[in-house]
Amino acid sequence: MKRLQRLSSAIALAAMMATTAGPAFTGPAQAATLSGGFDVGPGGFQGNFNPLAATGGFTWLSIYFEPLVAYDEKLEKVVGQLASSYEVSSDQLTYTFKLADAKWHDGKPFTAKDAKFTIELAKNAKTGSVLAARLNAVSSVEAEDDKTLVIKLSAPSASLMDALTKVMMLPEHALSQIPADQLAKNTWWSTSPIGTGPFKFSKYVTDQYVELVANTDYRGGKPALEKIINRYFANPAAAIAALRAGEIQFTYVDSNDLNAFNNNQDFRVIEGNSFVVNYLGFNHDSPIWKDVRVRQAVMHAINRDAIIQSLYGGAAKAANCAYIADQVVPKGIENYVYDPEKAKQLLKEADWDEINGNKPITLLTYYTTPLAANVMAAVQAMLAQVGINVTPRAVDTPTYNSIVLNPTPDVAQFQMVYAGLQNGPDPGSINVGLNEKQIPPAGPNVARVRMPVLTAALDAALGETDAAKRDARYQEVCEVMNKELPWGPLWVAKRYGVASSKLKDFVWTPAPGGGPYQAHPEKWTIAD
Amino acid sequence: MLRYSLRRLLIGAGMLLALSVLIFVMLRLTPGDPIDAYIDPNIPMSSSDLAELRATLGLDQPLPVQYLAWLREALTGNLGYSIKRPDQPVLGLVLSRVGPTVLLMGSAIAIAIIAGIATGIIGAVRRNSIADLSLSVFAVTGISSPPFLSALVGLYLLSVYFNWMPSGGMLTPGREFSVADLLHHLILPAALLAVAQTALIMRYMRASMLEVLNQDYVRTARAKGVFEFWVITKHALRNALLPVITLIGSTIGLAIGGAIFIESVFNWPGMGLLMVDAVEGRDYPVIMGSTLVIGACVIVVNILTDLAYAVVDPRIKVG
Repeated sequence: MKRLQRLSSAIALAAMMATTAGPAFTGPAQAATLSGGFDVGPGGFQGNFNPLAATGGFTWLSIYFEPLVAYDEKLEKVVGQLASSYEVSSDQLTYTFKLADAKWHDGKPFTAKDAKFTIELAKNAKTGSVLAARLNAVSSVEAEDDKTLVIKLSAPSASLMDALTKVMMLPEHALSQIPADQLAKNTWWSTSPIGTGPFKFSKYVTDQYVELVANTDYRGGKPALEKIINRYFANPAAAIAALRAGEIQFTYVDSNDLNAFNNNQDFRVIEGNSFVVNYLGFNHDSPIWKDVRVRQAVMHAINRDAIIQSLYGGAAKAANCAYIADQVVPKGIENYVYDPEKAKQLLKEADWDEINGNKPITLLTYYTTPLAANVMAAVQAMLAQVGINVTPRAVDTPTYNSIVLNPTPDVAQFQMVYAGLQNGPDPGSINVGLNEKQIPPAGPNVARVRMPVLTAALDAALGETDAAKRDARYQEVCEVMNKELPWGPLWVAKRYGVASSKLKDFVWTPAPGGGPYQAHPEKWTIAD
Repeated sequence: MLRYSLRRLLIGAGMLLALSVLIFVMLRLTPGDPIDAYIDPNIPMSSSDLAELRATLGLDQPLPVQYLAWLREALTGNLGYSIKRPDQPVLGLVLSRVGPTVLLMGSAIAIAIIAGIATGIIGAVRRNSIADLSLSVFAVTGISSPPFLSALVGLYLLSVYFNWMPSGGMLTPGREFSVADLLHHLILPAALLAVAQTALIMRYMRASMLEVLNQDYVRTARAKGVFEFWVITKHALRNALLPVITLIGSTIGLAIGGAIFIESVFNWPGMGLLMVDAVEGRDYPVIMGSTLVIGACVIVVNILTDLAYAVVDPRIKVG
C-alpha cells in the first residue's frame, strides 16, 4: 500500500511538471502588453520612483510623469509637453509658460499651482532633489492663473530649459502635506504615484517589475497598449537573454552584444548618440602636465581611429574638443592625427625626461567593462611607445568618486583619468567638468582644470542671451579646448537599443539619464 | 535539549552582535561612501547640498555614534532605510528577498540532498560498475564547474536556444500569481545551483557508505538474512549520513555564494542580488540588514545540524 501511495505521488508530481511546461508554448507577452528592460543600461535607475532624486531612469519615469518641457525625439530642441507654449523675455530673465489642459491620474486638473509647487520642491535640497543646484538661477515662481506659470531668474541661464526637462510635475494635492525632509522616505512613490502621462501606475513587485496601465483619459489620445511592464534585470546580459527568448520586446544593448541582433529580422536595432565624450583627464594639480606640448604628445600618440574601428566596431566618432556636433565645432581645428614620431619630438622639446621620464603614471577609471579594459590596455601600449609609462587602474564608481572628488586629493592616485562627460543635448552640460568654479568640492571638475581662458569662454556661452549667437559661443569653447587641451578628447560612442520587430511606432533614443524626450508611448503598439 | 538550544541561541545572538560590529567597521574602511555612490559625475551638486545630504543620512556623526544609533533602532526591529531608495525600509526590502532566496536555495538543497544521496548509494553499492564510473565523472565535473558557468550554459541551452524555460525572473510579469508559474521559473536556476552541491554530496555519500558497508554490523545483518534493500537503507544509510549532515550544514554558506551568481544570471530577486547591489551602491543600511539576516540563517542552520545529529544517532546527546 505504501508503494502505491508513492507511485501516485510520483504521477501527481509528473503531471504538475507537465502542466508547468504549458506556458512556455504560449506567447510570453500578453495581447496589448509591452514588456521591456526600460531601466537597463547607463540611462536607467532601477528601483527609484522619485523623479526629484533621479539621476537617470527618465525613459521609464516619463511614461507616467511628464515635465513642462521635454526634448523632441531627436534631442535637437526643447518643446512643450505639459506647457502648450512658452515665451522668454528679451532680457532672458522671465519665462512664461501656458499650460495644457491636462489631468492627474486621479482625475483632478493639472494647474499652475502644481507646477509652482513642483519647481519649489526641486529647488529645495532638503527634499533630496538632485536638481537644486541647476535651478539656482530661479529667483521666483508664480502661478499667475490656473494656466499661466511665470518663472523669474536672477541672472540669464542658457541651461534653464535643459534643467526643466528633468523636472517632472508632481501633484500638490497629494504631496503638499508631507514635510520636505520626509518626502524622499514616503512610500507614495512606489505604491500610488500620480502623474499626468499616457499610462498610470498599477503595481510594483519589489525588484521584479513595475506595471503601468493605460490612462484612457489621456489628452493625447487613448493609448493603444493596455499595459507596459518594466522588468528589472541584474545586468544587460540578463535582459538580452530575455529579449532573445522572446520574453520582453525591448532593451538597451551594449555595442559589443549587437552581433546577435544585426541581420536578424525578428529585431530592430536602434542607434543613437550617447552624448558622452570620453576623455583622458590630465590632473592639473600634477606638474607633469603643465607643458602643452606634453598634452599634445598624448593626443598624437593615441591611434583613436584604430581603437574606434577594432574595439568599438566603428560605433564611435573621434572628438577633438568636447563636442562632435557640427554646429558647435568650428572649422580648422587641430585633428591630432596619430603620429608617434611627432609625439616623441614634442616630448623631447618639452624635456619629458626631466619632467617625468619613465616614472609610472596612474590612469584611473570607473569604467569596468571588458571594452573599457581593452581600451585602457591599448592606450597604455600606445603611450608606452612614445615614452609615457601609464599604469591603468579600474575601480568601482564609489571608490573613483571618493578619490577624485576629495577636496584634498592624493595626486599620485590619479595623475590621469579615463572618464566621460556629458556634452549634450545642451552643450552647456560640459561646464560642470571644465569650469574652474566647478573644482571639487564645488563641482565635478575632477581634472582640476584651471584655465582662465576656458572658464571665460564657458561663462560667456552660458550667459549668452542671444540664442542666435549661442552656437558661436560654444564654438569658441571648442576652439579653446582644442588649442589648450585641458584634457585629451577621445571619442563619443554610440549607444544601442534593440526592439522586437513586433513593436510598432516605438520611439527610443539613448538620451543622457534616459531623457525625458517625446516618445509618445500612447502610440506604441505591438503586433501578434 | 531545550537548555542546549537556548544556550546556542544566546551564543548566536552574541555572534550576531560581533558580526554587526565587524561589518560596520569594514564598511567604513572601504573607499567611497553612500554619497560617492549617489553622485553622478555629470550632475553638479553644490557642497552645501552634499553637506545637507550627509547630515540627513547621519553620515556626519562620529562612527561610534552612528553604530549605536543603528544598534538602538535594530533592537526594536527597525533596520533603517535604504540610502539609494529612501522610500524602502530595509526590513521590508530584506524580508521581500528572504523568501525568494530561501525558496531557491531550499529547492536546490532539496534536489542536491535527494539526488546526491541516491547517486552516492548507487555508486557505493555498485562499486566500479559503469554506473559508478559515470556518476564519478559527473561528480568531478559538477564539483569543478563554477555556478555561473553552469548557469550560463544552462540558460542559453534551455531558455534561449530550445526556449523550454523562462530566461529569468521569478514570475511572469503582468500575470496573476500561480504556483505553476513560480515552479516553472524555479526549475532551471534551482537545478543548476544544485549541480555542484549534488556532486559534493554524492562523493561524500559514496565514500561514507563504502566505509559503513564494510562494518561488522552490516555483515551481521546480511548474515541474519535481512533483505538487501533494508540492509542498505536502514542499517548502513543511517550511519553513513552523519558526515553528510555535517557537509550539508557547512555548505549553506557556500550555497549563498553560488546563489549570488545564479541570482544574477537568472535575475532571481533574492538576497544575493540585494547584497551585490547594496555593496556597489555603498548602501550601508541594506548591507548591515542583509548581513544580519544571512548571519542569523547560518547560525540557525548550524543549530539545526547539531540537533539533526541527535535524531539520526541516538548515541549523540546534546546538552
